[in-house]
Amino acid sequence: MASGQDSAGTTLMDLITSHPSEVAAASTSSNSPAPSSTLGKPTTMERKPKRASLMQIQNDTIAVAKALNPVKAIPQRQNRKPVSYAQLARSIHELAATSDQKASQRQLLHHVFPKLAVYNSVDPSLAPSLLMLHQQCEDRNILRYVYYYLARILSDSDAHGLSPGGGIPTPNWDALAGIDAVGGVTRADVVPRILGQLTSEASNADVEFHAQRLAALKALTSVSASDSDVVAKLYEIVFDILEKVGDTKQKRKKGIFGKQGGDKESSIRSNLQYAAISALRRLPLDPGNPAFLHRAIQGVSFADPIGVRHALAIISDIATRDSYSVAMALGKLAQPGGALVDVLHLHDVLARISLARLCHTLSRARSLDERPDIKSQFASILYQLLLDPSDRVCFEAILCILGKFDNTERTEERAAGWIRLTREILKLPEAPSISSKDNTQSRDALPPKPKNDKPGLKSKRPQPLFKLAMRRLESSFRSFSRPVLHAAARVVQEMGKSRAAAYALGVAGIDEGSQLYTYSDNAESIDSDLNNGSQTEASRKALSLSNGHGGKDTIAGLLGSLLEVVRTTVACECVYVRAMVIKALIWMQNPHESFEELKDIIACELSDPAWPSALLNEVLLTLHARFKATPGMAVTLLEIARIFATKAPGKIDADVLQLLWKTCLVGAGPDGKHTALEAVTIVLDLPPPQPGSMSGLTSVDRVSASDPKSALALQRLVQAAVWFLGENANYAASEYAWESATPPGTALMMLDADKMVAAASSRNPTLAGALTRLQRCAFSGSWEVRIVAAQALITIAIRSGEPYRLQIYEFLHALAQGGVQTQFSELQLSNGEDQGASGTGLGSLISPMLNVLDEMYRAQDDLIRDMRNHDNNKQEWTDEELKQLYETHEKLLDLVSLFCFVP
Amino acid sequence: MLLAVLFSNSEGNILIERFHGVPSEERLHWRSFLVKLGADNLKGAKNEELFVASHKSVYIVYTILGDVCIYVVGKDEYDELALAEVIFAITSAVKDVCSKPPTERIFLDKYGRICLCLDEIVWKGMLENTDKDRVKRLIRLKPPTDV
Repeated sequence: MASGQDSAGTTLMDLITSHPSEVAAASTSSNSPAPSSTLGKPTTMERKPKRASLMQIQNDTIAVAKALNPVKAIPQRQNRKPVSYAQLARSIHELAATSDQKASQRQLLHHVFPKLAVYNSVDPSLAPSLLMLHQQCEDRNILRYVYYYLARILSDSDAHGLSPGGGIPTPNWDALAGIDAVGGVTRADVVPRILGQLTSEASNADVEFHAQRLAALKALTSVSASDSDVVAKLYEIVFDILEKVGDTKQKRKKGIFGKQGGDKESSIRSNLQYAAISALRRLPLDPGNPAFLHRAIQGVSFADPIGVRHALAIISDIATRDSYSVAMALGKLAQPGGALVDVLHLHDVLARISLARLCHTLSRARSLDERPDIKSQFASILYQLLLDPSDRVCFEAILCILGKFDNTERTEERAAGWIRLTREILKLPEAPSISSKDNTQSRDALPPKPKNDKPGLKSKRPQPLFKLAMRRLESSFRSFSRPVLHAAARVVQEMGKSRAAAYALGVAGIDEGSQLYTYSDNAESIDSDLNNGSQTEASRKALSLSNGHGGKDTIAGLLGSLLEVVRTTVACECVYVRAMVIKALIWMQNPHESFEELKDIIACELSDPAWPSALLNEVLLTLHARFKATPGMAVTLLEIARIFATKAPGKIDADVLQLLWKTCLVGAGPDGKHTALEAVTIVLDLPPPQPGSMSGLTSVDRVSASDPKSALALQRLVQAAVWFLGENANYAASEYAWESATPPGTALMMLDADKMVAAASSRNPTLAGALTRLQRCAFSGSWEVRIVAAQALITIAIRSGEPYRLQIYEFLHALAQGGVQTQFSELQLSNGEDQGASGTGLGSLISPMLNVLDEMYRAQDDLIRDMRNHDNNKQEWTDEELKQLYETHEKLLDLVSLFCFVP
Repeated sequence: MLLAVLFSNSEGNILIERFHGVPSEERLHWRSFLVKLGADNLKGAKNEELFVASHKSVYIVYTILGDVCIYVVGKDEYDELALAEVIFAITSAVKDVCSKPPTERIFLDKYGRICLCLDEIVWKGMLENTDKDRVKRLIRLKPPTDV
């Protein structure tokens, strides 16, 4: 917490409110600000000055505009004069002219430049002075600022002050320069000069100016990639540098970060390599240019770890486009002892991530199908990364093995990923000096030799990838770091996706109950060229040894214990971690397993008010994605979705929920449709929310809508469900008037209403159930729900054949007259609304509906009569009569389409 | 891609921000989203304790250092764990410049140098230098490996 009176003033604005010279005087007496008492006033005291200073931001910007437009300038009337941008600019101009003096240098370094950093863009009119400093000043600290500001002028490409700088807003300099007729400086005026000066510096091979050369190159990369001339020039400079220093004769000295030791020449060389490859990484990738690949491949052997990182990132990018060339160019580097393999131990996480991605691309490349030896070489490097000390790298390796690369993978790739993870074996390539046989013998005979690092020890015997991944994940879930938990849960989620894909494709031999080592045989038969005979034997032996302790080493066993840890992670107080865990569990849920546990977890979670609505909707979308992967889970998923609807109605986007309903219903197939519709509409059977009375109940089937806002949201959900029911009941019930098996006007219609209902429900329970629900909603819901229910009913009436249409007709008729009210009075729950003269308040809505049905029945009677007449008289239909029929049909269609869509 | 690095004070005023590849109309949303995250969760947090959040496929890692809240936002290869590396590089550089977890005042006193450090750590939406000694050299215009 900021403290004391002093801190009240420490805002961005205070950084610049005070004239440079005053501060200079003050700061010479006390270099660091006197620490004020930490027992300061509460922070609320600081609010006011802050708001005031926010106001100043505006004033200041105006002051800038005014200062640049001196005619209208009004003198500032504040006690503490803020340093306006204009004053800062003036100081820079003045101090640049006297930059040889120590005092000027100090001013620039300690006051002017730091203050300028607060603004979100740099006035191009400062460029001439900056360039002057660039040429004349020798103070490195000042020069560093000069490069910083020059780079920012170069990067302000849109010239609207919207550069990524942030800070106090600045005006559109170019526009201001336009207003200011005399001597206005625009970006266009200065950028060519800046580029010229920096380019010549970046090309300067003089060792004296080595550091400046690196800084100039870096500053140049700030230029926008759309400026093709400059980009071409940059390519030229970068490739020119790499031409001279790119070739690494001596090997990188391993494991030493930053201190390569060595002589001056090799340091300079290394620095140039780093700067050039870093710049290259920021330039647009040009896959057609062979120099790109060539230089990046050289980069793998650079001494600078960050240089290696960028080189690998470039290679990995190129590999996705042209795997074959990359694999050929890497050649020896990828063999044991090669520079690429050395990256496994390079002290740079991002470099190893790129290595994983590169190896994944090459080990899966179709273009390398002819060269299984090369593919397995890269696969082996990828598998070794499972032992990486960094969680980030290990997780990347797991994701790559699972077939998750970007988000464009096909189901087949993900399925293959699951098979890979569960079957493949990590075999460390033998060190060239020891023969494989000796090695395995000594391993079998003696306890492993002590080694400094644990992964090295573990890796000595072949290990199933799955086991390594499971162990690693389990230990990550014991971490206290939220990012680690979140990432681990995400990896489990991706595992679930690959597993679901494998199940969906029905890949043969997914038997999660078998011992892991049996898979090693399969794996070896797949890539037998990896092993010579003795090694296979040895690895199998080692495996059966390592799998000595019973049935825990089945995939199912390992997964089970992992999921146990995953479930306990739901206790994490970070809601984002919990969301990721739930997503992971949804993906790891198998269709044939009980989902009670998952349901309970979710129901319990949703009672927590801390969940942001965006996050809940993301989980709903996960259900949606899960359904698409496994349509067989429709009902399970709908039941889970219902928990969301009832537990957190206020936070659920009705559109997202409807999307889920719809996809599940359509995807559930002929057998599942009924159950799917039931699962959706069960929402309607829930007791209406009664504010206040529900507290304390946490049952899944109870609605939690204790506040008015969620009660309202619940009502919207119910409306959505009612609408959904009306729209989809016919589909779910496969009942359409135009496909109905029984012709209209049969004996059914002669029955009285009760018998009719009974007959109807025995014929099509789905539709009958839907009708019952809708009828209940049509008079016992709130009026919004009643309206939607009436609309849903008419939709079904129009689409259904008899007796449903007649049943609805009767119901609506009674409803319009208020007659049903007595009939259903025992069901009537008072909702505190005036029901109106018509009994339900729906009269005006229902009468046009009844009219349509009347029209339909009248037309139907006419048609039957006509048909009978024609049949009796053995008459042919005349054109006139047919035309009339057609017109009636069209007219009815028009009427009907006011209410719903019919084909 | 490293989409954003933001520094705010404990009241949610933004001190430094660097966006990359975020359209300007979305920045306002990010600012308020991040500041709200911090306001909801960072009260009473330990220095450098890491917090995580996500929004669709974008990750957020944030922490508090002295009086200053630091947020980093990334996607693709910059997931939670990569962002944790970024934030670690940033906090160590800031601690180095301020010689301890900074009060807001100290942070603002060192504002210029912190901007230079940030310039060395995050470069065009990518993490660059992570080693604080190397950053220290570079902001004094010394080459990464001393000649």
